[in-house]
Amino acid sequence: MNKDLVSMIADLNEQEALKIVKDRLNAGEDPLRIMEDARKGLEIVGERFASNEYFIPDLVYSGEIMKLITELVKPKLTREEETRKSGKIVFGTVKGDIHDIGKNIVAFMLDVNGFEVIDLGVDVPEQKFVEKIKESGASIVGLSGFLTLAFDSMKQTIKAIEDAGLRDRVKVMIGGGQISEEIRKYTGADAYGRDAMAGVTLAKKWTGIN
Amino acid sequence: MTESERGCNMPIIRDISLNLNIRDVLRRQGLGEVVKVRPEIKVLIQELLTDIKNSCMLEPVAAYEYYTVRSMNDSQILLKGNKVIHGPLLPATFPEAKELVVALCTIGPGLEEQVTDYTNRNEPLRAVLLDGIGSAAVDKMVIDVLKYLARESSSRGYEISSPVNPGMHGFPLTEQWNLLKLVNSDEIGVKLTSSGLMVPRKSVSMIAGIGPEMKRWTQAEICARCKLSKTCHYKVTEQG
Ligand code: B12
Repeated sequence: MNKDLVSMIADLNEQEALKIVKDRLNAGEDPLRIMEDARKGLEIVGERFASNEYFIPDLVYSGEIMKLITELVKPKLTREEETRKSGKIVFGTVKGDIHDIGKNIVAFMLDVNGFEVIDLGVDVPEQKFVEKIKESGASIVGLSGFLTLAFDSMKQTIKAIEDAGLRDRVKVMIGGGQISEEIRKYTGADAYGRDAMAGVTLAKKWTGIN
Repeated sequence: MTESERGCNMPIIRDISLNLNIRDVLRRQGLGEVVKVRPEIKVLIQELLTDIKNSCMLEPVAAYEYYTVRSMNDSQILLKGNKVIHGPLLPATFPEAKELVVALCTIGPGLEEQVTDYTNRNEPLRAVLLDGIGSAAVDKMVIDVLKYLARESSSRGYEISSPVNPGMHGFPLTEQWNLLKLVNSDEIGVKLTSSGLMVPRKSVSMIAGIGPEMKRWTQAEICARCKLSKTCHYKVTEQG
């Protein structure tokens, strides 16, 4: 049976996926093509997640497989290829809120999808976001929050970004258990995402990746 | 569960044995339907459950106290000793209460430290699964504590209502400061952040009404009332 990398990742078959990557590397194949196939596999995982065939643990599992593949491929990449990222994202749970597991999942999935994530942790004050945007030159900001009080912190953070003259430079996405379109409007964010894949889709759209 | 101790005059419940079953755990992972769970994930959950059994990752402990109701209006309940609890949800939920029981439950910091450890070690799947196990453990603990309080109340000829939690609509999170003073929170190691969240994170605070005849709701009815009922992946009930 011809087991290809794309479908092995899509089916979350870790052992087979890693074996194929090793074989293809040993055969001297272009590492970038291997990574491209791996990303295609990850995309199918995303689609299956969206159609409720896969759940959060499956999504995270696919991310772990992707990480292992990247580790295998890395030594074969040139320095430039290795460090090429799709875009920088400053991410954190807003002031007053300490929920971290949802934020960690989104940050991890953005990372395995090729973004450089600067994770500021939880209970992050507005100015810390502003500082990190300036320092890193990130073009995307992700704000996470699960509490009702987080809506105000999100609004204040976006206001602080605006006051620092950085609002035109960044796209802001928000997310967390209770977030809706109504809350997006209230906070002034550009978009909201219900789950980690929604975050990845937004980031890809904003950076022009299909 | 052992008998509660009356340390500092406020009772504490220790030695709560939390027997977690895989179904409860899966529901807290958004995996309501067991059939759809990959065998690898089930194995990992079982492994984590065994780790928990063989360690002191879970240290469930609860503090509680009963208070006699003096009066109530639409927005608050006045207790004996001039203590007031604010929030329209309370009088609306148990208008017939003669007493209130305030309870604070935590599984301690051990599990979340392990979750952070997995995150730092780049093992996000274990981190996510263990975090869900922690949430399931708190759920289970809350059920056990409520059963315990129901037994205690019934020995006095009283019933216990379904509980309400600060942070629910009509019971502001700011009441957390008030609430934690009504039980021996120091003794069980629960503190509040500046925004009123509890540390350890895997903790729950609640109030229930006590009286001769109290109303109770099924979990499905409680879920149906929540704003998130349509989108929530973490319902702890099949019907909800
Ligand atoms: C599990 C849970 C608990 C657990 C664990 C909490 C913890 N911190 O570990 C327990 C039982 C302990 C608990 C306790 C409490 N909880 Co609670 N809890 C939840 C619940 C059901 C799930 C939250 C969660 O951990 N999800 C797990 C993550 C992995 O899932 P997720 O949210 O789906 O994450 C995804 C998305 O949100 C998204 N996402 C997240 N961030 C971002 C960011 C971006 C940019 C994007 C695009 C996407 C995105 O992607 C993630 C991955 O796909 C929510 C309700 C809900 N359905 O969200 C209530 C909820 C957060 N809790 C609530 C409350 C009130 C409490 C308590 C205050 C109750 C009390 N008085 O005891 C306590 C507080 C605890 C404390 N430490 O102070 C309320 C908050 C309401 C409010 N007023 O603010 C909620 C909303 C429930 C409700 N319906 O009222 N809770």
